[in-house]
Amino acid sequence: MNKLWQVATFEYKRNVFKKSFIFTLLSVPLLIGLIIGIGLFVESSNVDTNMVGYVDDAEVINETGLSPELSAIWVSSYSDPVEFVAYATEDQAQDALKSKKIQAYYLLPEDYFASRRVFQRYIERPGENAERQFFDYLQLNLVNNQPQEIAVRVALGTKAVVRSLDGSRFIPESGPTFGLLMPLFINLAFLGLMLLSSGYTMTAVAEEKENRTMEILITTISPSELVGGKILGIVAISLTMLITWTGVVLTGVFIASRMGISWFGDLSMDWRIILATLAIAIPAYVLVTALMVAIGSVVSSEKEGQSISSIFIILHLVPLYISLLFLKQPHSILAIILSLMPFTGLMTIGMRNLFSIVPTWQVLVSMIVQILSAFGAISFAIWAFRYGMLQYGQRLKFGKLVRMKRRGSS
Amino acid sequence: MNVIDVNHIAKSFGLTQAVKDVSFTIQRGEIFGLLGPNGAGKTTTIRLMLNIFKPDKGSVSILDGPMTEDKKSKIGYMPEERGLYQDISLESCLIYLATLKGIPEKEARTRLGKYLERFDLAEHKGKKVKELSKGMQQKAQIINSLLHQPEVLIIDEPFAGLDPLNVQMVKDLMNELREQGVTIIMSTHQMHLVEELCDRILLIDKGQDVLYGHLNEIQKSFYGHAVLVRTQEELPTIKGVREVRQHNNAVKLILNDSTTPQEILNVLTSKKIIIEKFEIAMPSLDEIFIRVVEGGKQNE
Repeated sequence: MNKLWQVATFEYKRNVFKKSFIFTLLSVPLLIGLIIGIGLFVESSNVDTNMVGYVDDAEVINETGLSPELSAIWVSSYSDPVEFVAYATEDQAQDALKSKKIQAYYLLPEDYFASRRVFQRYIERPGENAERQFFDYLQLNLVNNQPQEIAVRVALGTKAVVRSLDGSRFIPESGPTFGLLMPLFINLAFLGLMLLSSGYTMTAVAEEKENRTMEILITTISPSELVGGKILGIVAISLTMLITWTGVVLTGVFIASRMGISWFGDLSMDWRIILATLAIAIPAYVLVTALMVAIGSVVSSEKEGQSISSIFIILHLVPLYISLLFLKQPHSILAIILSLMPFTGLMTIGMRNLFSIVPTWQVLVSMIVQILSAFGAISFAIWAFRYGMLQYGQRLKFGKLVRMKRRGSS
Repeated sequence: MNVIDVNHIAKSFGLTQAVKDVSFTIQRGEIFGLLGPNGAGKTTTIRLMLNIFKPDKGSVSILDGPMTEDKKSKIGYMPEERGLYQDISLESCLIYLATLKGIPEKEARTRLGKYLERFDLAEHKGKKVKELSKGMQQKAQIINSLLHQPEVLIIDEPFAGLDPLNVQMVKDLMNELREQGVTIIMSTHQMHLVEELCDRILLIDKGQDVLYGHLNEIQKSFYGHAVLVRTQEELPTIKGVREVRQHNNAVKLILNDSTTPQEILNVLTSKKIIIEKFEIAMPSLDEIFIRVVEGGKQNE
């Protein structure tokens, strides 16, 4: 077997079968699941479908009920409908509340039309669905006697569709769909991988340098086979994480869409954007990994390495900090420059794709820049490894190394 | 036939000149001792030989030419201390490193089994390397340097951390390898082992070769700088004697460079001391080492 593959396979197996790796692999989807679970639990705890009473001294609510058109809208509007019960007096409503026949009651005073005040009475705070539905019900009753065309228009409300300034992106009234956000999720997943694995990559190399395993390896195989194999192995480890997480997310999305959760209703995606995202994200990840190997090869301590590596991670985060600029002007000069640069290209294109459609040429150039940068970083890592690896205990500054490389000095 | 030819190599790290000027040759099938005080430049010299570093000046020829990737599988190297993956099993670690040297896994397992038995490590092969004692790790490193049956073996402090039984085991192994024609370059501070094993030595001090040649010739060149005297009387202070040591049932007098054994004998007879034994002592390598290194310091 090719020695590069041997190193990559060894690195992969050595890490993937570790308890700590399995813990990391499972902890991320478990954590996301836990957060979603807590969210759903909190939301469900705010739902109460018990009856709600009202005392209508203002005679707003029509005793004969809503018109057929409004009734149809009312019935189809809620998955957790609440029944409303009328009480002639507040005493009756209070008795019903105390005997827990109703979760709350509302009092519409005689001066309601002038004051617009509605009194709410409860022992324990009623469900949010009950509160929302009562006021919707009140609104429908207010327009019940209006011409039905107007009443229906008011009942249905407004469909707000958000459109990007250049008109190339539409976000429906229900908000961005899962499919629309998918490329950004992929970018964020790669960013998460960088954060998770960069420290590990650098530490692993620094440790091998420290325990002199590298000295044995470098007298066994070539530096390019060693460094290339390591980078390949680490990228494979990260892809294992990514594929596992993607599998978990897709399973969750499938379950959510089958459960009828509206946000997952539209799963249509633009596969060209997703493929372009991956084509930029993978070399961007290789670039960071190679740089971490280079840093691990030259630093004298893990702490020193972390401070240097954090610079490259921060560069990836720059587009997130200035995302408002992309929203206002997705095709500004700054946006284009950041899209074409290594380190910032990944997140910039991800952000811009949310608000607009990035021109194909920019995606292609960014992809080429990322690939060339990745190869350059691998070459630099091999060089740094060769000349920095065996400087035991000696501090070799990263900047000095770059200058040495430029001069072609050994 | 020269297996290694080192020609006036020099290497600096920043302002520190680790190796100033070192030259030597190593012949096929010999055990060559690379000696020197701490920080003398031994390890840097080894790394220059292995092409881990490139020399600033001079050249190294190994197995008839410069170091190439192909030659790596013909060379066994054991760095001083550590060198193995700590967090995987001993067996996995050694098999992986052997396969990287181009040995098929099955063959590597067969060879490893024999070495593990020989070095009493068979029952520990499933343990993580970091769980092994220092001596066990040292033996594991020696096995690692041998599994691919190298033509040239370069070992840095091979006896560090070994008990007398294991020292003997490694000595026997090195003699066997020499008989098989393997060239061994050994760096150590244990001079008595160098005396027992090495054919030739190179002593480096402050990055320069200061002593080089066959061990017995070097010892002969220092012959006459010590005498053994056995007497029932107490010896007086004698001018020209640098140090007095007990040596079995006699006294060893270490002489200054300018003092001859004859002068000592004359002093003793002139003082009417009854001498039971008077013998010119062959200097030990320890003594030669101290003499050369301290001589170097005095000359600074």
